[in-house]
This record gives sequence, C-alpha cells and structure tokens, in this order.
Amino acid sequence: MFSVFLWLALILYALGILRTVPSVIRRRPALSPGALVALGLGLLAHAVAIAIETAELHRLPVIDVRSALSFFSFLVTAAFFFVYLRYRVVALGLFMLPLVFVFTLISAVQPERTSADPAFRGGWLLVHIASVFLGYTAFLLTFVAAVMYLFQERELKSKKPRSFYYRLPSLELCDELYSRSLMAGLPFLTLGILTGFVRASRTWEGPWELDPKILASMVTWVIYLVLFSTRLSGLWRGRRSAYVAVFGFAAMMVTFLGVSFLSGPHGLKPELGPRP
Amino acid sequence: MNFLLLGVNHRTAPVEVRERMNIAESDLGLAVSDLVHRAGILEGMILSTCNRVEVVVNAQDQVDAQPILRGFLADFHHCDLSAYEKYLYWHRQHEVVHHLFRVASSLDSMLVGEPQILGQMKRAHAIAREAGGLDGLLDEVLMHAFTVAKRVRNETAIGSAAVSVSYAAAELAKKIFGPLAGKTVFVIGAGKMSELAAKHLMRSGVSSILVTNRTHERAVELARAFHGTAIPYRELLDHLAKADIVLSSTSAPHFVVTKEQVEKLLAARRHRPMFFVDIAVPRDIDPAVNELDNAFVYDIDDLEQVVDANKKQREREAVWAEEIVQQEVQKMMKRLATREVAPTIRALEDRLNRIRELELERHRGRLNTLTPEQREALDALTKGIVNKILHGPITELKSGAGGPEHGHLVRLIRRMFGVGD
Repeated sequence: MFSVFLWLALILYALGILRTVPSVIRRRPALSPGALVALGLGLLAHAVAIAIETAELHRLPVIDVRSALSFFSFLVTAAFFFVYLRYRVVALGLFMLPLVFVFTLISAVQPERTSADPAFRGGWLLVHIASVFLGYTAFLLTFVAAVMYLFQERELKSKKPRSFYYRLPSLELCDELYSRSLMAGLPFLTLGILTGFVRASRTWEGPWELDPKILASMVTWVIYLVLFSTRLSGLWRGRRSAYVAVFGFAAMMVTFLGVSFLSGPHGLKPELGPRP
Repeated sequence: MNFLLLGVNHRTAPVEVRERMNIAESDLGLAVSDLVHRAGILEGMILSTCNRVEVVVNAQDQVDAQPILRGFLADFHHCDLSAYEKYLYWHRQHEVVHHLFRVASSLDSMLVGEPQILGQMKRAHAIAREAGGLDGLLDEVLMHAFTVAKRVRNETAIGSAAVSVSYAAAELAKKIFGPLAGKTVFVIGAGKMSELAAKHLMRSGVSSILVTNRTHERAVELARAFHGTAIPYRELLDHLAKADIVLSSTSAPHFVVTKEQVEKLLAARRHRPMFFVDIAVPRDIDPAVNELDNAFVYDIDDLEQVVDANKKQREREAVWAEEIVQQEVQKMMKRLATREVAPTIRALEDRLNRIRELELERHRGRLNTLTPEQREALDALTKGIVNKILHGPITELKSGAGGPEHGHLVRLIRRMFGVGD
C-alpha cells in the first residue's frame, strides 16, 4: 500500500518538475498552476504513504535507507511549498525539486528492509528524529540559497549578465533565505542532538559517544554553529559564508547518509538491530 | 470585411516626412469624422505619434479603398501625395489585423517592448469611437489588439529588461538589494548625468538621498530637488558608510574612492553590500574595489554592456511575442470569418425553409387526407432533406473561414442558391 502511494507521489513530482522547467527558462514571474497542482498532489500522496507506514510501525518510518530518504524528500517538498508561496522564487523549483525526485526514486526502488522492533519506538526518539530531519531540511534550504547566491553574485561581479542573472532572485533575497533557514536549522539540529544524547545514554551501553554518526553530526553541528554566528555578527557575509555553507552541506550529507553505512546501532541498517 | 491600412513609420520615413503626415490630437476627431463620411468607408481610425502615422479603415465589400485613403490624406494635408509614395506602406485584410496586433504589443516600435504605444493606441481608439468611426469589425479587431498586447506583456519579458544606462543602474541595484525601499543613495558630484540617474533610482523606490559636491551650493540645490540631505565635500567619507548605492560623476582626475577606504566602509556596515555606479570619465571609483567581497562597481562601459545584454534578451522575448501574435491573428481571423458567414448561413437556411414551406402549402390539397402522424412524418422528412442539402455548403462556409479564397466561396454559394447580397 505504501509503495503505491510512493510511486504515485514520484510520478506527480516528475510531472510537476517538467512543468516547472519552461517557467524558469521563459522567465515567467510565477510557476504555472499545473506545476503547483501536480506537486501539491504529489506531496499529498507522499504524506499518505508516510502516514500508512507510521500507523503500521507505531513510529516515524526513518530508520532504513528507503524510509529516511522518503521522509526527507517529503519534508523538502513541504519546505519548497512553504518558501515558494512566501517568496515566489521560481528558480527555487529548479534547484530543489530534482533532488526531491532523485531521493524519492531511490526510496521507491529500495526493497523493504525495515524493522518492527519496538526498541525503535519512544518519545525521546521521536523528538530526536523529527528535530534532526527538520534541521536537515532547513540546511538544505541554506545550501540552495547559498548556491543561488553564488551564481548570481558571480554574474554581477563579472558584469556580464548571462542566463542566471535574469532568472535568479536578488542577492538580498538569496541572503534572506540563507540566513533565515540557518536560523531555523541550528536550533532544530541542536535539539535533535541533545535529545539523541538523552536517548543514547539511556538505552546504549558502552562508549556511545564514539559512534561514527554521533561524531559526524558533532562536526556538522560545529560547522553550522560557525556559520550561524559569523552570519549573525556580520563577520562573514556573502561569498565567504556561502562557500562554507556548501562545505557544511557536504558534511551534513555525510552525516545523514554516508556515515549511516558505517554506524552499527545508529545506521540505516536496522536488520543489524540495536546493540544492547 | 474589407480592411486597409496606410502608414509611415520610423523605418520607412525620415522625421521630416513623419512630421508632414502627422495629425495633431486636437484634429484627430474631425479627421476621423471626415474619413468615415467618405463614400465606401464603414469604419476608420487614425494613429499619429512621433514615430508613426497610420490610417486604417474597414471599407464596404468590393470597394477599393486605396484611392479613398490617398484622397483623404492629400486633402487633409493639402499636399500631393505622389511625392511621398516611396515612404508609404500598405496592409490589406489579415495583414491589417497582424499589423495592428504587432503595433499594440510594441513589436513594431523603435524600441521593442516600450510601454507608451499601447496608451497612444488606446487614446486614438477612444477618439475614433467618439467621432463615430468605430462600430463594427474594425472596432472588434482593435479591442482584441489591446487584449493581445496585455497577453504579450504578461507572458513574455519583452518589456522588462532595462535598455538605457540609468534604468540599467536601477535594475542592477534591485538585483543586489531587492526592493529599494529603505535604501540610501549617495550622489558624489551633482551634475546633469547624476541627476538623471538619481531620478531613476528615486523612482525605483530609493527612500533617502545624500548629495555632495565640490561646490556646496550645487549639492544643496540637488538635495532640495530630491528632498535629500547635502553633505559638505570634506565630510564625504564620514557619511559614506550610510550609503547602499553610490552614484559618482565628478570631474576629478583621480580616484575619489579607493579600495582601502571601501574595505573600512564595508567593515563599518557589517559587510552589507555596496553598489558603486561610476559614470565619470575619468573614473571616480577605483576599479579594484570590485575585487572586494560585497562591493560591486559598474562604470559606464559596464552599464552599456548590461544594456546590450538586455537588448538581446528583449529580442529573444520578441520571438516568443511574435508567436503569440501569430496565434491570436489566426484566432481573430477565424472569428471574423465566422461572423461574416453567419448572415449567409442564416439566409441559406431561410431560403431553403421557405421553399420547403411553399411546396408543402402548394400540395396541401392532396395532403389533407393524411393522419396527424403522417403529416408529422412528412414535416420531418422535408426538414431532413433541407438540412442534408444545407450541410455541405454550411460546412464549407465555416471551414473555409479565414482563408484567401473564402470571399469567392461565399459569393459563389450565394449565387448558386439564389440568395441575394
């Protein structure tokens, strides 16, 4: 059942993306209603898919590769709508949606390999997971804003307006998206890490502090803390900050996906089960 | 439908000829009145701007309106038109519709995408209507031209990129700062050029303006004109950090603002960006400032480059716009032709139904022995015959609508079925 809705979401996302492309190329002031409807319905289908699994497992479906990617791309699409409806940046679709599609696709083709083990349930865990994913989503926005900023800035500096100049929003708007998503992301990630510590200290034995994923997420957290504080104080602004944000995003993806394949109890291989 | 258009524009005629042909707005109403009162003319409109003078009419069918239009212009301007033959252009039938749509969408303008022509056309349309010159097909075409112009403006970016140096500066400022409300511009050197550029920036939403000049009086003058503040020249650097946009055009032979100074300014502004527009020759702003993060420097050549790039963008958008116009012309022609054949179709139906009724009447004597059902059946039978006979010609009339042979077809069918003109 879950698969049906996920595939439906995938097809609708694809349709939506295809309808987005001409709006960006033709410099239209807004996305076509057709694109928005397709994406909206896709989001709905995606939400249903996740709701079904949540009901079956009595927890958020995020502990294996498939569910994690699916949940993440769902949040990213929701964030896209939120930001687009507020700021009307047409180019945003071009930057965010292909990622959504790829992640949803990977998720849809993965075999089911999740675990119904009740060890994966619990209040702290729920908060931990939700916060971390919301943080990741916000930082994805930061990354997208940074990339748009860098493209636009380069064209403005070169004084030769080319295709991006006409289609990307102003530096100011990119910067606003950048700093706001940064301000949203860090608290979420912090909450996520702290609740994670609480959960780990309660249920794990041994030196859980040395778990690869936890270490990686600390590194990521420090990078984003630096970005947050330098942007807030105005010490770093513009290109320098954006470059570090790109680097920070790489760290985030490593933490999210890369390390997961190394980390036993924390990783995306629930069939290994949580080590007591 | 018998459209004809006569005109001169900036491409076909020099300004002296256009001046000669120009019809002042105050005379426009009378001119249109004169035009449509001429025998053979049903509707007319005159458009007269600094770049074009055009007279368009909808004449009676079969009437050659060319000599009529020539006569009108010659009479109005008290001149012999033969001297101006080589400057005139003519459009007929669907070309007129195409031309009107293009002109309204600013595709025929000297500067493609300019917004004035639509307003000018609307005014000419209103005046012609008031003078009683527009009450039929031509009026419909013109109303639709305005809709098409709106569609072109909405669906293409034809009018949006700046094509003058001052507009380009304002556009760049918006690309850096977003909306300019709340931003401050600092004008260094209160000359004519900076006044113009400052005006565009203010019009684009800049809220406050600071002005400085070697001769303080000039700064005060300019500041007053823009409701801004004049700063004494020696205090320039003290206040420069307040500026988001710096507009510089002094006659100083050296740099007025250096890289080291801007570094300090940016630090004081917590690295909020600064945009320098340097329209001075020799340049006022050290170009090395552009190397700094969050500082953007554009000199006069750079601005010209942006204008060139924008012009190319407009041309690209114009291609889309022409496609839209083509689509709309086809739609309009179909609509007009269908409108034209409606009376013919009605006349055909009336004629054949009359024949049917007359024949039924004639044979009534022999038919009064029929039962009501049989009479009904006979009714339906004769109606069926009439409809099936009509089906062929009606389909031809409707499907050929808009094609070049269509006028002949209509006349032929009317002749064949004995339907008068």
